[in-house]
Amino acid sequence: MRLPWPAVAAGVAVAALGAAGLIRGAVPQSLASGSGAPSAGPIVVTNAYVRPPVPPNDTAAAYFTVYNTTSRPDRLLDVLTGAGATAVLHTTNSKGNMIAAPNGALIPAHGTLVLSTGKGHVMIGQLFGTLKPGQTVDLQLDFQRAGTVDVVANVIAVGAPAPGAAAPSGAHS
Amino acid sequence: MKRVRIVGAVAGAVFALVLAGCGSSGSPKPEASDLVGQNQVGTYQGAGLVPPQPRPSFTLSDTAGKPFAFGKATAGHPTFLYFGYTQCPDICPETVADIRLALTHVPAEISSTVYVVFVTTDVQHDTAAVIKRWLDNFSPGSKATWVGLRGTQDQIDAAQAAAHITVASDEGQTHSAQVLLYGPDDYAHVAFLQSSNEQQQIQHDLSIVARASH
Repeated sequence: MRLPWPAVAAGVAVAALGAAGLIRGAVPQSLASGSGAPSAGPIVVTNAYVRPPVPPNDTAAAYFTVYNTTSRPDRLLDVLTGAGATAVLHTTNSKGNMIAAPNGALIPAHGTLVLSTGKGHVMIGQLFGTLKPGQTVDLQLDFQRAGTVDVVANVIAVGAPAPGAAAPSGAHS
Repeated sequence: MKRVRIVGAVAGAVFALVLAGCGSSGSPKPEASDLVGQNQVGTYQGAGLVPPQPRPSFTLSDTAGKPFAFGKATAGHPTFLYFGYTQCPDICPETVADIRLALTHVPAEISSTVYVVFVTTDVQHDTAAVIKRWLDNFSPGSKATWVGLRGTQDQIDAAQAAAHITVASDEGQTHSAQVLLYGPDDYAHVAFLQSSNEQQQIQHDLSIVARASH
């Protein structure tokens, strides 16, 4: 079920604030489900992190794991971020190639969507500033059924270990 | 074009065999990342190549614009060969960072003999200057010799075919994720795929490969 309009408007406002502020603080912490504290809603997002660009490349990549706690499939439709003007979801197709996913990504009932290196990411373009390890980036995830989920992702240096790679037990992507 | 596709298909089939040989069972649809890193019984932690693949010969342009004959220039040296592109937001930087970190964790007498050769699959965007700047994010402090190569589309396709990897498509954006490691014997006995364990695999296997006799 989508959130009522005021909540959506708030989300957009948050995204705009995030765009201006780039980093931590743009999303009130009460709204944010960060990598350390999964929300209790129908959608739980964990292990969110962002790899900064490697110059002269100017795009960053956001990764996270989405767990659908409900008994009905959901779909990640769109992602907004305070770190850059564009955010494009890339997932792996049946041939193993990573491609843009204009129709979003399915999260099966009681299943997971894992975006990890080589499997998928949100490519963040037209960055509003330099991303450095230790900063955080706000992500707003829009789901077909669950509505909007706000996530705080840590910026982690390229090559540094990603946060806990394991998906919730018993779940299959 | 037809020739290239056939070679790519053969390389893909060979690689599928390699994956099948890693000994995972139970899952009808194993994914590469579930297989790599679990090879604890063989000589290598990466994906063993059976039969080993000979060091290929191809000549491309380095970032100074000079011809670089891969086969001759790197002969006898432990050599990483990787095809990718600098606008790649995902696998390429992680993979090269894994190579770089592994190099900093092996003794200097090994790392100083190593070549790291990056060949761009994005003929259009990756100029010599772009490749150089991109590699400069990784090369400092690694003691290895880093080489960035580019060429025409035909040259890049032929180089991938010579290395027995799947030829990239989509202007180079869909490309093989394999890192080949050639040894002093001028054969690649092991290759690596991106995973959370790739750096440790490379570190482990590089020491073995580098110490193998000619």
